Amino acid sequence: MFLKTSNAVITVVAGVGVAVAVYWILNKIAELLPGHWEDRIKPYLYILPAYAAITLYLIYPSILTFKYSFQDSTSTEWVGFDNFTKLLSSHEFQQTLINTLLWMIIVPIFTVAIGLAVAVLSDRLGPRGENVSKTLIFMPMAISMVGAATVWRFLYAYRPEGQEQIGLQNALVVLLGGKPVPWLQQDQFHLNSLLLMVMLLWAQIGFAMVLLSAAIKGVPVDTLEAARIDGAGERQIFFRVVVPQIKGTIITVFVTTLITVMKIFDIVYVMTNGNFNTNILGVEFYNQLFTNFNNGAAAAIVVMLMVAMIPIMIYQVRNFKAEEAA
Amino acid sequence: MRVHKRGVKALTAVAAMALGVSGLAACGGGGSSSNDKTVEIWMSVDQPVFDGLKKDMTAKAKDAGITLKMSKVTDINSLIMTKIQANDAPDIALIPQPGVVANIVKRNKAIALDDVVGDKVKSNMLPGALEAGTIDGKLYGLLSSANVKSLVFYNKKAWDKAGYKAPTSIAELDALTQKIKDDGHVPWCMGIESDTATGWPATDWFEELVMKYGGADKYNEWVTHKIPFDDPLVKQAGEEFEKLVLTDGNHIGDGKTIASTGFGDAENSMWKSDPGCWLFKQGSFITAFFPEDVVKNFATDVGVFGFPSANAGEKAPVLGGGDLAVLLNDSDAAKTGMKLLAESDTGNSAAANGSSYLSPHKDFDSSLYTNPVIKVSDQVVKNGSELLFDGSDQMPGEVGAGSFWKQVTSWITGQQDLDATLKNIEDSWPTS
Repeated sequence: MFLKTSNAVITVVAGVGVAVAVYWILNKIAELLPGHWEDRIKPYLYILPAYAAITLYLIYPSILTFKYSFQDSTSTEWVGFDNFTKLLSSHEFQQTLINTLLWMIIVPIFTVAIGLAVAVLSDRLGPRGENVSKTLIFMPMAISMVGAATVWRFLYAYRPEGQEQIGLQNALVVLLGGKPVPWLQQDQFHLNSLLLMVMLLWAQIGFAMVLLSAAIKGVPVDTLEAARIDGAGERQIFFRVVVPQIKGTIITVFVTTLITVMKIFDIVYVMTNGNFNTNILGVEFYNQLFTNFNNGAAAAIVVMLMVAMIPIMIYQVRNFKAEEAA
Repeated sequence: MRVHKRGVKALTAVAAMALGVSGLAACGGGGSSSNDKTVEIWMSVDQPVFDGLKKDMTAKAKDAGITLKMSKVTDINSLIMTKIQANDAPDIALIPQPGVVANIVKRNKAIALDDVVGDKVKSNMLPGALEAGTIDGKLYGLLSSANVKSLVFYNKKAWDKAGYKAPTSIAELDALTQKIKDDGHVPWCMGIESDTATGWPATDWFEELVMKYGGADKYNEWVTHKIPFDDPLVKQAGEEFEKLVLTDGNHIGDGKTIASTGFGDAENSMWKSDPGCWLFKQGSFITAFFPEDVVKNFATDVGVFGFPSANAGEKAPVLGGGDLAVLLNDSDAAKTGMKLLAESDTGNSAAANGSSYLSPHKDFDSSLYTNPVIKVSDQVVKNGSELLFDGSDQMPGEVGAGSFWKQVTSWITGQQDLDATLKNIEDSWPTS
């Protein structure tokens, strides 16, 4: 234990020391340059290690993944588009795509809508009520998704008819005289997928609420007063005055949630592992890589996700720039 | 003001970068400091089995002059592949899935054991125990701790009162099931829910019936895909499973109940004085999931018989599994460690401490077993023709840990019929 701790301390100290030395040397090099060249070159020298890190940790793995997606399961032979055609032509993968798409549509919309509603309504409460309700709604954010799954299992748990129900939902159903329902297996209208989405909503709404609430509080009061004097109703004020002024925040929340959803893995993995027609891309990727040891198929899934994510990222970055300019 | 702000930004950037670089340095310093005499062994066996093996191995390692580093790890199947790809693997790993062993061999990271352990050890293994670890004629995975899955548990008190008898053929098992049903009871306890591995208990049923109907050769051909997955033999097995267990009234609830009942919870209601279900087919390890008071009164409360052969009096293969020791480093110390692990008496302590350890060696002293289920398992194996390794564990991951589980689950929950299920699994078999 002592050895481990001292090792850690030494590496951290040495690491920081080396980093400082690197910047000091880069700075010295820049200072050696004549006059205005020093000012021109210096920023680039400072940003160089950051670029190097991004290249090493982000760009290089991306290129490698791209390459793997055209190779076989052990990444030794080229197979062309085989990985993609095999995946896309399988009925189950198509279902996986449909499920993922459902997640991408439903979760961000509801996160924004409910988050906005909570933000507006809690704004109307007294300071104490506002704090309490916001804290309660924000709390799930502090729980890891795997931990949340443990909680939610007790909501959806199912025992055969006649045995004691340990799940809250089924206990209610039985209390009202119904038959217990295996909730996570109800795939008509993707009900089970929707039940899993509720879990993410539960965890994400706090985040949306905090950002949107701050934005709403930032709306200048004089614009609201002006609208009131002009005779606008509360609904009109909300949709015509408040919403346009917090549009930027709404888009940011929407896009961040969308990106979270595209990467979602833990909820589905822990609750159903993609069984009963609840599979999504994140879980399929994991299973391809760690159950099937199929590097090719796993990389192909990541490439598809990356391609789908690029336009969203571009939109997000543009949105940020527009915000900053405004 | 502006200048000051930039200064702060630059400082933050430097600090952030410094941390990043130090993170890198920490990674570089993480290598193991093993010397030539240290042997690192990883396994994922139950804690009591681990304790027993560790005790014997530690004593032997001392005499052999090697330093032992034995660790119990979780999720060894995916962990070991990651470690192998990172060139950071232990010297020896005990892997429960032959499919994973095959994957290691495919990547040329395993060392053949034939010359390491020698013919004496090999000929001393239980019949069938070498097949699962043999790839292209060479032994890569040596069975080190076995388990038996061809067991049927029952509530002894209730059973004796009702006057039921253990069947000796599948026809008799059919008759017994019918009799229990006619007596107004539910014959089978069945649950296939197992978190991310949901479905596996049902695949055991297929394997059991395929080997009982088709014999060892046909079974091995099916497992290695020399005959298609949807061969008539497999269909016969599926239909028998459906008739015995999946028929309405032969189990609690409906198909969806089976799919949402934990494999370890399925037998919960069996121990009541008026059992909720009467027969429970599971592996020797399942006793860990039995209620505490049942385990305490094991001898009086729990009955167990071996799954019957197709015809009475026939010596049939027995379904089992276990952990295969794979050598990942060809140093002399690692080979010594492997040899010690392969000795019959390395399991003595594990057998004596009441764990679920079952020795794969013929000359192991059966009187050492203290766990009653293991005693029965030992008998079942010795009365059978050979011990055959769990088929789904031997199949490629796509099938054995993927489509087989998932498709059978879909079948049981009524999303598709048996023919479609078998065909989907056949289609999912990887081409290379």
